[in-house]
Amino acid sequence: MIMMKRFVYINDDQVSHELYCDNRISNRKYTILNFLPKNLWEQFSRFMNQYFLLIACLQLWPLITPVNPASTWGPLIFIFSVSATKEAWDDYNRYLSDKKANEKKVWIVKNGIKKQIKAQDIHVGSIIWLRENDEVPCDLVLLGSSDPQGLCYVETAALDGETDLKTRVVSSSCMGIDSELLHKIKGVIECPNPDKDIRRFDANLRLFPPFIDNDVCPLTIKNTILQTCYLRNTEWACGVAPFFSGNETKLGMSRGIPEPKLTAMDAMIDKLTGAIFIFQIVVVMVLGVAGNVWKDTEAKKLWYVEYPHEGPWFELLIIPLRFELLCSIMIPISIKVSLDLVKSLYAKFIDWDEKMVDEETSIASHATNTAISEDLGQVEYILTDKTGTLTENKMIFRRCCINGIFYGNDSGDALKDVELLNSIEAGSPDVIRFLTIMAICNTVIPVQSKSGAILYKAQSQDEDALVHAAAKLYMVFLNRNANILEIKFNSSSIQYELLETLEFTSDRKRMSVVVKDCKNGKIFLLSKGADESILPYAIAGQQTRAFVEAVEHYAQMGLRTLCLAWRELMNDEYREWSLSFKEASSALVDREWRLAEICQRIERDLQVLGVTAIEDRLQDGVPETIETLRKAGINFWMLTGDKQDTAIQIARLCNFISPEPKGQLLMINGKTEDEVRVSLERVLRTMRITTSEPKDVAFVVDGWALEIAVTRYRKAFTELAILSRTAICCRVTPSQKAQLVQLLKSCDYRTLAIGDGGNDVRMIQQADIGVGISGREGLQAARAADYSIGKFRFLRRLILVHGRYSYNRTAFLSQYSFYKSLVICFIQILFSFISGVSGTSLFNSISLMAYNVFYTSVPVLVSVLDKDLTEETVMQHPQILFYCQAGRLLNPSTFAGWFGRSLFHAIVVFTISIHSYAYEKSELEEVSLVALSGCIWLQAFVMTLETNSFTILQHIAIWGNLAAFYVINWIFSTIPSSGMYTIMFRLCREPSYWTAIFLTVAAGMGPIVALKYFRYTYRPSKINTLQQAERLGGPILSLGSIEPQARTIEREVSTLSIAQPKMRNPMYEPLLSDSPNSTRRSFGPGTPFDFFQPQTRLSAGYSRNCKDN
Amino acid sequence: MADRGGTGSGGGGGQGALETAKKSRKPKYSRFSQQELPACKPILTPGWVITTFISIGVVFIPIGLASLFASQRVTEIVYQYDSDCIPPEFSDDSVEFIKSDKTNKTCTRTITVPKQMKSPIYVYYQLNNFYQNHRRYVKSRDDKQLWRKEDETSSQECKPEDFTANGQPIVPCGLIAWSLFNDTYKFRVNDKVLEVNKKNIAWSSDRDHKFGSDVYPKNFQSGTLIGGGKLNSSIPLNQQEDLIVWMRPAALPTFRKLYGKIETDLEANDKINIVIENNYNTYSFGGKKKLVLSTTSWMGGKNDFLGLAYLTVGGLCLFLAISFILVYVLKPRPLGDPSYLSWNRNAAGILN
Repeated sequence: MIMMKRFVYINDDQVSHELYCDNRISNRKYTILNFLPKNLWEQFSRFMNQYFLLIACLQLWPLITPVNPASTWGPLIFIFSVSATKEAWDDYNRYLSDKKANEKKVWIVKNGIKKQIKAQDIHVGSIIWLRENDEVPCDLVLLGSSDPQGLCYVETAALDGETDLKTRVVSSSCMGIDSELLHKIKGVIECPNPDKDIRRFDANLRLFPPFIDNDVCPLTIKNTILQTCYLRNTEWACGVAPFFSGNETKLGMSRGIPEPKLTAMDAMIDKLTGAIFIFQIVVVMVLGVAGNVWKDTEAKKLWYVEYPHEGPWFELLIIPLRFELLCSIMIPISIKVSLDLVKSLYAKFIDWDEKMVDEETSIASHATNTAISEDLGQVEYILTDKTGTLTENKMIFRRCCINGIFYGNDSGDALKDVELLNSIEAGSPDVIRFLTIMAICNTVIPVQSKSGAILYKAQSQDEDALVHAAAKLYMVFLNRNANILEIKFNSSSIQYELLETLEFTSDRKRMSVVVKDCKNGKIFLLSKGADESILPYAIAGQQTRAFVEAVEHYAQMGLRTLCLAWRELMNDEYREWSLSFKEASSALVDREWRLAEICQRIERDLQVLGVTAIEDRLQDGVPETIETLRKAGINFWMLTGDKQDTAIQIARLCNFISPEPKGQLLMINGKTEDEVRVSLERVLRTMRITTSEPKDVAFVVDGWALEIAVTRYRKAFTELAILSRTAICCRVTPSQKAQLVQLLKSCDYRTLAIGDGGNDVRMIQQADIGVGISGREGLQAARAADYSIGKFRFLRRLILVHGRYSYNRTAFLSQYSFYKSLVICFIQILFSFISGVSGTSLFNSISLMAYNVFYTSVPVLVSVLDKDLTEETVMQHPQILFYCQAGRLLNPSTFAGWFGRSLFHAIVVFTISIHSYAYEKSELEEVSLVALSGCIWLQAFVMTLETNSFTILQHIAIWGNLAAFYVINWIFSTIPSSGMYTIMFRLCREPSYWTAIFLTVAAGMGPIVALKYFRYTYRPSKINTLQQAERLGGPILSLGSIEPQARTIEREVSTLSIAQPKMRNPMYEPLLSDSPNSTRRSFGPGTPFDFFQPQTRLSAGYSRNCKDN
Repeated sequence: MADRGGTGSGGGGGQGALETAKKSRKPKYSRFSQQELPACKPILTPGWVITTFISIGVVFIPIGLASLFASQRVTEIVYQYDSDCIPPEFSDDSVEFIKSDKTNKTCTRTITVPKQMKSPIYVYYQLNNFYQNHRRYVKSRDDKQLWRKEDETSSQECKPEDFTANGQPIVPCGLIAWSLFNDTYKFRVNDKVLEVNKKNIAWSSDRDHKFGSDVYPKNFQSGTLIGGGKLNSSIPLNQQEDLIVWMRPAALPTFRKLYGKIETDLEANDKINIVIENNYNTYSFGGKKKLVLSTTSWMGGKNDFLGLAYLTVGGLCLFLAISFILVYVLKPRPLGDPSYLSWNRNAAGILN
């Protein structure tokens, strides 16, 4: 049975000792003992590794191994030890930091005596003593603090990234206990089992005599201080020590091992590996059969081979297995290591990028997930949050409407509106009440700085803006002293006693405070909240029309609105209500829900006072970024919790949608299923028709309609999602955001979610790529994300530069890895035809090993520096991203090109080697080394040909590698016991060796250069054209001027009906047609040109049919 | 939330993330980290490509001609004797003939020197359809045993020619040694014995570092099944040069191995009288045996392949270069013309 509750006895060693684990933090994955088996097990759970292990084991059988087992074991062990070392190193660092945390000294109180112990020795129920600026070693329930009101302040930046101070309060039953007595306090805390919700803690505290006996006191998150927070502005505080200890703390629980994300490219590489594997099996079977046939017909006649008449029972298997081993190099053992290496370098390039450092905060961009950079280049949909992501989340109070009078409409700034100032001076009661709500209906903490100025520590930017505005309007919130709120209005001080705070939740969308005027003892309820959660509860008879209009008016200007309201409470009413409120707030089960219900009871019959309008400015460069990325063929969806009008306004401002008449907004609304269905169908119809016109159509949906559409009419909505390039979803909840991401993902689109706040976390984690903006709402989003950037505008660089380069580089690297393995493998296969299909290896073990892990792996790594186009060109022509999005550089068709090239090169090398070293020269070692040299030379030239930009490092890698090949072979040629003894020296002296090598290079590269040149000049891809334009200087300048026109094309949409499956064609059609229009769209003749219409994609085997599930 | 770095930290993931954020605050500037290393970016312009192809053609054709010329200068006499040296009565049963101990395997033939041959003249035997590269064969040797007397116990690799019936190690062991070629040739020109120098026909590196001077043949060809030639067990392996030559396996089923060197010149129309001891069995698998007398050039023996290949490649390059020039002249196409970008083309109102 699962224990839902647990009891923690304060200061009682005997009881809690055995029950719960100690406070030792352990983030380690391994111990010294289990490292090897556990790590090996993890590594071998990958198919590739299993495959290589099988091959390596087969090679231990001398009868079938063509080469020394070392040629596979060596690289295998190398690769394994690289991964293992990395793991071990990470784990060691974890161990060190754990140790540091565990051995940190803390003060505890035991039996009334203060002692200093190591953090790891803290037990459940011990009392911890903290001084100012101490880091909290574990989650604590506050028992006492130096503050007479039992307050203490904590900084939670490490936990949620919010830099403001938060108040924490000693639980009411402990309030006022003398500090000496605290040392001896005893009691029991009843709390639920550990969880990871850092915003919630529902527990009860009961103290034992001699303290207040048997009075259950509710505990909330307000009564706790969590691990890694810092105690500030408080001399001391003490708390009952870890009710959750060690890995059971809130933070410990929320730490999790993220699911590894697989990029589209990884999936493609896996697919290709699978294809090569099947090819290998076929080759092995064919050669195996041929080998057995040859053996039975021919080899039996070769007396010098002495085949026994009767073989063992596995006789028939021997030759196929030998070929399996010979062909095992088809799948390059080095590819995983190479890919891991370059991927971490891509991530480093992002971290290092100076152009993505936020100047204001000097926070650099950071790639937390190092494995998915290629996906950035293949993004098709960007789902973005609005507040804090597109906007600065720097709230400024701009306008207000009090009792139907608009302030700030003329100057755009209500603070300077003379009318408002006048009515404040005149003491208009409504205005003053309005200002009072602005000043105290919040959770802001005023902090008196030394210079006397008041700083406000606010959790919400809106509250911050309101309090500041109120202060400027002479209603200064001075002090929050325990329950006394002190405000100063025109030099007269007013005091309110804070009775209750009805906190803001995203469901209620409002917050209220219950205060008592200290002068006359009247009790008021002050509320503020979104219009739809305030206006419906207005007192009967009050005309709210003016406020509705005001809200609409402000929303159209893109301002955030809040409605302010108040109500006077009768003493009895309050008392009665407060009892049930207290009860609800100490509930252990469903506390949140019950509280909401209780709050609802009192938040009614409100006197609406007015509407505030707060401006949230767009971040720098947002419209430009969105325009560029939309040009790059990326579709934008805005998902916001904000109002429809505000959202649309912001969308207009940042180029989401163009102004009328070109841009058209289609609303999906309705409260009932039928209404939503009708509206959805109407929009869909319009969408299908308008797709033929160059119009910028976007649909707008709100959270309610979205819920219905997604649950009831999923198919239709999915269709709509595919048809529409732009969407605005307002009033959506975090889970709906994640749902939309899921919907797009299920249609096989690459999605990128970007956001800055805690409400975006789920969407960020759900998306293929999550980008967090390390903004004002804290680090929560940034921490959950794969990439964190300082500003929205860096997204452009992240995708167009880093994403695109990463994609291009990996595309080359992976295909090249297969190419080089296939070359050597094809040579082996060709050789088997002249060696009696017996499975002889032409190359010796050393050469094979060095070839795979050294000669061909090292040079290709520098392809991470390759740039096909300069960053500027890409920024000017974002359309070029299409090549990455559609996967034009790595797909079965390009792979077939590399496959063909490897076959061609193998034939060239093999033919030339065996013919130039025929007859008296046909010594096995020599021929093998001639063939190997031929391969190495060809690889060097292939690398050269495929490199777009040569830096010094590329030259070193390519030519240095070639030189290293000779040096290494010379070294081996000096070792008498090696098979290669003197061979390389002999070869290098022979003119026929060099003539053979040059012939190989010319014959191998000639056709490839010719073909590439022809294609480059007469069938250039867009990339080629831009390369030419860029390198030749001239025309590139004129290109920029064409840009504005370019926007019209993007909107060209084809007339296809959605009934046709959505497909894409990643095929690269070498000489036929290289213009994207012929591939992306493809529904026969007559379809208009629609380069950037992602929904019209055709492919043979890779149809991305929408899955409607 | 979860620290995605995977490298969590002790104080907790939260602190770790914050620390990394702080650490990476100011990226160190370097041209490498900013991916701004100076780079040269060649592109395939017609000028470059055509020049390259022409120069390859220009370089390759002379080299091709030179090596073809060198190869043509080599005089080579190839005489296939495998079927010639079977007495007519055994012509249907050549295997029987070669296996028998009783038959006379000496065979005398006369060949004419077509052209003057300057010394040194290399004498090769050529075997066709002999798979020295067969996996079972090529592995069947023990290099340690050949080099060190102490390691005379043959290894597993040598199977089935590793131990004699009574368990004595065979030196040299393995199929390669066991199937040693054992035809011999004697030459007479104008009734004068033509000396064949059999010294230094093997690689000196093999003699000095692969075959030991104190390793003597032991129990060689002593079994019931006799393979090829026998070895004089009083001569150390490093002086058994025929064996050393034979033990360098050939990569192809057709190969020549050096038999000896003739160090006198041969004049045109000299009649060479050859006495062949036809001992080696190639009949059972249809292999051919040829005797080759050949002079040499800077490229080695007679081999037209390289010359012809160079001429072909060079010619093709010139052809390609010319056709590129023609296409360039007839159908010029400006490089990097932005109007070829579809998004621009469309803007100008041209649909496809």
